[in-house]
Amino acid sequence: MTGTLTQSAKRPEGVIHDLHRKFLSEARPPEAFRPVNSAGISRFETLGFPHRKHEMYTFVNTQPLVNTGFALQKPGKIASDAVRPYLYPGCETSHLVLVDGTFRPDLSDTSALGDGVRAVGLEQSAGEEPLRHYLLETIEAEDDVFAAINAAFLSGGLHLEVMPRFTASAPLQILVLSSGSVSGSVVTCPRLFVQVGELAEIGLIVRFAGTGGNYFVNTVIDVRVSEGAGVRYSQIQQDNETCWHFSKTRVRLARNGRFLSTHASSGCRLARHHYEVDLDDVGGELRLNGLSVISREEQVHNYVRIHHRAPNCTSHQFFRNIISHRARSSVDGTVIVDPGAQQTQSDQLINNLMLTDEGHADNKPNLMIFADDVKCTHGATVGQIDENQIFYLKTRGLTEAAAKSLLTRSFAESVLESIDFPAVREDLENTLLKKLEASHG
Amino acid sequence: MLEIKNLHAGFDGHEILNGISLTVNLGEVHAIMGPNGSGKSTLAKILSGHPAYEVTGGEVVFEGKNLLEMSTEERSLAGIFMGFQYPVEVPGVNNAEFLRLAYNARLVRHGKEEVDPLEFDDILQGKMDSLGMEPKYKERNLNEGFSGGEKKKNETLQMAILEPRLAILDETDSGLDIDALRVVANGVNRIFKREDNALILITHYQRLLDYIKPDFVHVLSKGKIIKSGKKDLALELEAQGYDWLTTTQS
Repeated sequence: MTGTLTQSAKRPEGVIHDLHRKFLSEARPPEAFRPVNSAGISRFETLGFPHRKHEMYTFVNTQPLVNTGFALQKPGKIASDAVRPYLYPGCETSHLVLVDGTFRPDLSDTSALGDGVRAVGLEQSAGEEPLRHYLLETIEAEDDVFAAINAAFLSGGLHLEVMPRFTASAPLQILVLSSGSVSGSVVTCPRLFVQVGELAEIGLIVRFAGTGGNYFVNTVIDVRVSEGAGVRYSQIQQDNETCWHFSKTRVRLARNGRFLSTHASSGCRLARHHYEVDLDDVGGELRLNGLSVISREEQVHNYVRIHHRAPNCTSHQFFRNIISHRARSSVDGTVIVDPGAQQTQSDQLINNLMLTDEGHADNKPNLMIFADDVKCTHGATVGQIDENQIFYLKTRGLTEAAAKSLLTRSFAESVLESIDFPAVREDLENTLLKKLEASHG
Repeated sequence: MLEIKNLHAGFDGHEILNGISLTVNLGEVHAIMGPNGSGKSTLAKILSGHPAYEVTGGEVVFEGKNLLEMSTEERSLAGIFMGFQYPVEVPGVNNAEFLRLAYNARLVRHGKEEVDPLEFDDILQGKMDSLGMEPKYKERNLNEGFSGGEKKKNETLQMAILEPRLAILDETDSGLDIDALRVVANGVNRIFKREDNALILITHYQRLLDYIKPDFVHVLSKGKIIKSGKKDLALELEAQGYDWLTTTQS
């Protein structure tokens, strides 16, 4: 098969190059993206394809990805009926849809938010300042290979602006839908750029889902939070079990900006989430929570870099993973506190619940503190369900299975309850917890 | 109702119960007293089916059935309630929701329909009112962050909801101040009207027995009941300690 991402004896770098040439000549990305495409591929050349000794990919085995033949995705045909099942209740008139990386205004509806938001295809604004400059600047400094690949293959995306002082009355759902391929595997590189204006308040739900085929979705999301603005955010990964999901979420917080996030992953063949957050000015507040519920051969890896660059900022991280069968998870998180960032408050807690002996959890909490007046904590645990708790519940008449299920649910619940959107919480309680019950057999 | 015959049991290869025999009839309150390490708590754990303890001999019959063959949850559903010396904290599990699960498990066992959260709230509120418990017990998670006294009050609430045939309260009085002790004891007295249930109190101190009056008092030492008597025996133990009994025995 020509135009695939290996299968041959070629090095992965060569394969990416071949695919990129094919991309430029056949997929014909919009003119506005050409500088980003070439900056992306040259950044990829510098970084190289990740291997086990690559610091950012210590816990992630990308070899199976190399061995899978990926073709370029042709944008899928999806009608609005097909989109509806993926919309959360309450988002019927406040949603934006991307299909295979391309923004689809015909499937989107933001009437509930009126003039408070403006959404256009990224190709319309990528050639204009200041976005043009920002896209090139970030790719030049990019240190994640897959984000560089995203830029190299950028052919569409979404540019969302939330107007200054706008307070959204309903959460806005961004649905990133992948149609995939039933015969082989295809790659898409969606790109979201979200600019939240001064003193604006909005809830954003980014949901990833697939309509059935196989795919590799490699996303980059930028959220720029202006002074005094607040974003309540949820990123939900619900791809098919056989798919590949890479995402990089890059957040920059201006003075007194807030970004309160809960990430939920149901896992897939290989899911990797990279969070890069910069608290650029005083008073910034970050919450980064994450829950993964994985079973069988599924994997979810989290890579977090939080950079406190200014005084009086806070960041909270709380990750919980529930792992059964031979599933694998990792959380590699570093908080960096700059010399001037006094009065920083930062905590990080990672808890893993192992339901079987064959599962695997790697944890690497890390603090790099260069200021002397800060309060920072971190910790990680790996454990099984507490036998004393099971016994206690059994003495009250619960069966072993019911006791285990209750304890596992409660473990997940402490992360789920931080999700600000009831419809999302309810959906996750149903889908993730159903998965758990299947794990308990 | 409960008949324990020559029970031998232990933990990790060590024999702790060394031939206990005890008969409890409907309507009776038995107090089991004894020094630390005499096997009181082991007896409670054996009766509730703790997996770490092993029975090496003897038998236990509860309402005509071999108790030792029943699983922990079957014992509970059959009407045995174990009040823990150290109730386990279960973070993230809402107390009211947990109580409803336990209540419904019992209903299903008796072939009845489960109750929904609203119906259960009425039942729970009724019990809480009768025990004089604050609303916080509904909202909080199961024993999470509870003080010693709050945990024991919560055990009493669970007992009130589950309406056991036989309750075994393991050192319910330990770690309680006198006010908390009074609340817990009043609760127990309300639940046990003595018409169709029975109670085993395991305690180190006589103080509890001022509030919950036992019919019989047994002294446990080195895994055996060395003396049984009426309530007066507890007063005697209070005045003289356990030494006079344990010394005469050895």
